Amino acid sequence: MKWLGMVLLALSVNSAFADAEIQPLLRGSYKKIIAAHVNKPFIVGLWSVSCTHCAADLEMFERLLKKYPGFNLVLISTDTPEVKPVIARTLNRYHLGSTGNKGLGSVESWVFADSYTERLHFEVDSQWYGELPRTYFFDAKGKVTGISGVLNEQQTESWIRINR
Amino acid sequence: MLARYLFGIISCLLLSGAAYSADQSKHHAMSKMWQTSLASKQISTSSVFDEQGTLWLAQVRDGHVLVSHSEDQGKTFSSAVKVNSQPEAVSASGETRPKILLDKEGSIYISYTQSLETPYAGNIRFSRSVDGGKSFSAPVTVNDNHDSITHRFEAMGINKRGQIYLAWLDRRDAMAAKDKGEKYTGIAVYYAMSDNGGKSFHANIKVADHTCECCRIAIAIDKMDTPVIVWRHIFGKNVRDHALARLGGTPQVQRVTFDNWEVDACPHHGPDLSISGDTYHLAWFNHTPERNGLFYAYSVDGGKTFSSPINVGNSAHQASHAAVLSNGNNVYLAWKEFDGEVSEVYAMRSHDSGKTWGAVFKVADTRDASDHPMLVAYHEQVYLSWSTLLEGYRLIALPQEQTMLQKKMP
Repeated sequence: MKWLGMVLLALSVNSAFADAEIQPLLRGSYKKIIAAHVNKPFIVGLWSVSCTHCAADLEMFERLLKKYPGFNLVLISTDTPEVKPVIARTLNRYHLGSTGNKGLGSVESWVFADSYTERLHFEVDSQWYGELPRTYFFDAKGKVTGISGVLNEQQTESWIRINR
Repeated sequence: MLARYLFGIISCLLLSGAAYSADQSKHHAMSKMWQTSLASKQISTSSVFDEQGTLWLAQVRDGHVLVSHSEDQGKTFSSAVKVNSQPEAVSASGETRPKILLDKEGSIYISYTQSLETPYAGNIRFSRSVDGGKSFSAPVTVNDNHDSITHRFEAMGINKRGQIYLAWLDRRDAMAAKDKGEKYTGIAVYYAMSDNGGKSFHANIKVADHTCECCRIAIAIDKMDTPVIVWRHIFGKNVRDHALARLGGTPQVQRVTFDNWEVDACPHHGPDLSISGDTYHLAWFNHTPERNGLFYAYSVDGGKTFSSPINVGNSAHQASHAAVLSNGNNVYLAWKEFDGEVSEVYAMRSHDSGKTWGAVFKVADTRDASDHPMLVAYHEQVYLSWSTLLEGYRLIALPQEQTMLQKKMP
């Protein structure tokens, strides 16, 4: 039973890191995200804590949001809700989480929350095969451009300057 | 259930240690443990037939690789035997699954990737059973570099001589370069061989530098009894196409696909390879603006040149994760598609070593998470071996003749 106490302590320590601001991406959520941003330019960045290439994009988003505060960024982790503490910690490290991002504009965060990940992928884009990082640029007219792989910072910045 | 719960507790205890540490990398490190041990049910399964027609399965539950067998083509299974008595963070999702092979004498060989706490780090583990699957040896680590870095995505092959080969992706050279302040693209592919029935392995041998980091390796044995591997390689600055090498002698790297997919990303989408006689059959995925989706091509000159690639499956439905199996002149391809609601496995067959292909037919479907499809054969009969969250494990015989199939289809 000493065990159980330690377990509960462990759980409470972990949940202290858990971020209530990371919303579960369920069936239909992606459509709602798009609808909520209608007529506004925004970027959707799909990433994962286990993706070796994704940190480069998070670092870049941190720099760009400092430069262009108020720009709308939606980050979607393709991990599972169980790893929310790790997601939150990673986001906070780049000042993209709920703590420490004051003045860094509007970042909303989501996490894949359906075991049927194929359907979530498909709702995002039927031509996205799950490779990461994957980014979508939505302009104010709703035109969308999808890019796989680490973003080019110069191109991303000029897109933000034109579209903000 | 209890075992699952206990493993969760153990994981929490391990994690809580990390949670107290101020070291950010240790915090990050928790991710691996969380993902592999707690996140979701691990459905990735491997299967193989022995010479008597018994089907053997390797699956993962609660940190254990479990082996069971079926005498009736997958209708009923024996109770499962644990390979590793101590639970480990066994990597079993998407591109990684435990592997199972048998030799002529009926010895059973298991390999798997053990995830470590450091992100992307792992060890290549191996175990064998010499008593017909009643018990398994304590797993050993085959990679002879023991740093907490990537040694993952192993592939296992066994030739007629009974030599066991393991090939995997390895970060040791990338780390060495980093320590010297040098640039190093991607990671490397290594292999090790056992010629004493898995009692021990010879020293690790590097096959190639600069591989993609997170795609499975394909392995097949050629007619000279030499294992051949194909993996996603990084050519030039950042082109992620496929390379082939024979394991033995000084490995020569041959480029075998030319789609020029240039991307700084993790595709999580490795190739498959099957060899019959002189013909190499290769299936792969690439995603360039010009050429998108699954492809198949064959080579009759040991992989030096390939037939012009044919597109496989419906790329509007995310055709993905193809398996290829050749049996003499008969070749089967199976892959997964998703139509927005249903995940489906489709297949097609060639009677002439891949020159022409029959009609595509549907084999199975599911409405939740599923493993990559796998093809296994017993004599002439080829089966889809597929594990899904809702239906569990299924072994489905593929029709031997297209006409039979058409009659059966509603």
